[in-house]
Amino acid sequence: MTHPEDLLADYVDGALDERQRAVVDAHLEGCASCSEEITLARQAVAALASLEDEPVPFGVTGPVLAEAGRRFERRRVVVWERLQWAAGAAAAAALVLVVALNLGGGAEPEQDVAREEATAVEAEAGAVAPGADGESSPTFVFQGLEQQQGVDYDDAGIVALAQDVVPIVTGQTAQAEDQGTFAPADEALSCIEQSGAPTVGDPRDTLLRLIEAEYVGTPAYIAVYAEGPGAGQPADRVVVWAVAAEDCRILTTASLRI
Amino acid sequence: MPDPGARDEDLIRRYLSGDRAAFAALVERHERRVYNIALRMTGREEDARDATQDAFLTVLRKLSSFRGEAAFTTWLHRVAVNACYDLLRKRQRSPLLERGGDDDRPAAEPPPVPDHADPTALSIDVRRALLQVPEDFRAVMILHDLRDLPQEEVAAILGIPVGTVKSRLHRGRIALARALDVPRQGERRGPATPSEGTMTP
Repeated sequence: MTHPEDLLADYVDGALDERQRAVVDAHLEGCASCSEEITLARQAVAALASLEDEPVPFGVTGPVLAEAGRRFERRRVVVWERLQWAAGAAAAAALVLVVALNLGGGAEPEQDVAREEATAVEAEAGAVAPGADGESSPTFVFQGLEQQQGVDYDDAGIVALAQDVVPIVTGQTAQAEDQGTFAPADEALSCIEQSGAPTVGDPRDTLLRLIEAEYVGTPAYIAVYAEGPGAGQPADRVVVWAVAAEDCRILTTASLRI
Repeated sequence: MPDPGARDEDLIRRYLSGDRAAFAALVERHERRVYNIALRMTGREEDARDATQDAFLTVLRKLSSFRGEAAFTTWLHRVAVNACYDLLRKRQRSPLLERGGDDDRPAAEPPPVPDHADPTALSIDVRRALLQVPEDFRAVMILHDLRDLPQEEVAAILGIPVGTVKSRLHRGRIALARALDVPRQGERRGPATPSEGTMTP
């Protein structure tokens, strides 16, 4: 017996024309299995009708709107810069933040990629800031993943992380040479980028610190960036992103104007 | 403030032209739809929140390259369903209804005995039973039976032929009914594990 499989869903939906419905009706008269399936399918449709939409919990799209605002601000700054350049304004003195990734030993392919990206950051910063040679520029060396076992950051702790690096970004103090031991950062970097945070290749953002700790009890990667408007202009804020280590969702972000 | 009656495509254009509130209006308009798809696909509020965030972040990243070849809602549904698939893959376990103590419960737990006299209990039964339906079938049912989308649009969202939508819809419904284990004339239903394209003779 040939079963009219392709018609059964529409039969249950009442979406068949008269001729097709007659074909199925005739088949059902002599086919117990299809009759049973139609009964089951109707029960399922009725059961699904009992499911109502649930309200969206508070704050679900908050991080998305925050990210949208951040992108919007960036775009606005870029547009303003272009207007300034078009008007022949003199280029602002550039503060070159040189990033040299030191991801630890080994030459695994992923680390090579990260190195190339870091080199691209450095090259681009240099390209847009001719004449910066010889000026006193703060140098920051990103050394890898800082594993802070048992440390649980709250919002105040996140802000403190941002405040800590301000003197280094502004060149007031030099980066401490001995900052402890570091682990390879590939997985954490990938997670941070997946979350929607600035990418390593973005010339406007310089990754300063990457920390593995907890944020309010959730295992997290915390990235601290110096962020500038681009075009070789100096960083004007420090931004911190905390993302869940398990699934890379955004836990919180903080932004501190310098 | 954006016009509440503005078309999605107009809101997108306005956001890309610098109207920041237009994106917020777009999110507000669609978040309930995306969240409820994610809730039914994943079965957990926590996962639904994550999938909703992931979906809208993807929309945000790709909005400038949205060409309008498909309707925005079709594209949004595709992004939402893909976010759910990604999340379920990441979890690599059967989705559960709620977080908390349920998290450690075995995934293959049999469905609870339904109390069909209580509408709330029936609703919870259906939510649990839906999670026992294979993901591909579940996605079709959620889009068609719950979101009332036409089969042609479901096909466009999932990138499958309309015939496959019909087949998955029918198989999924049967799987759901069997998972609900609705007693009928003394019969017992088998497990909710259909295979696509096969029919019981």
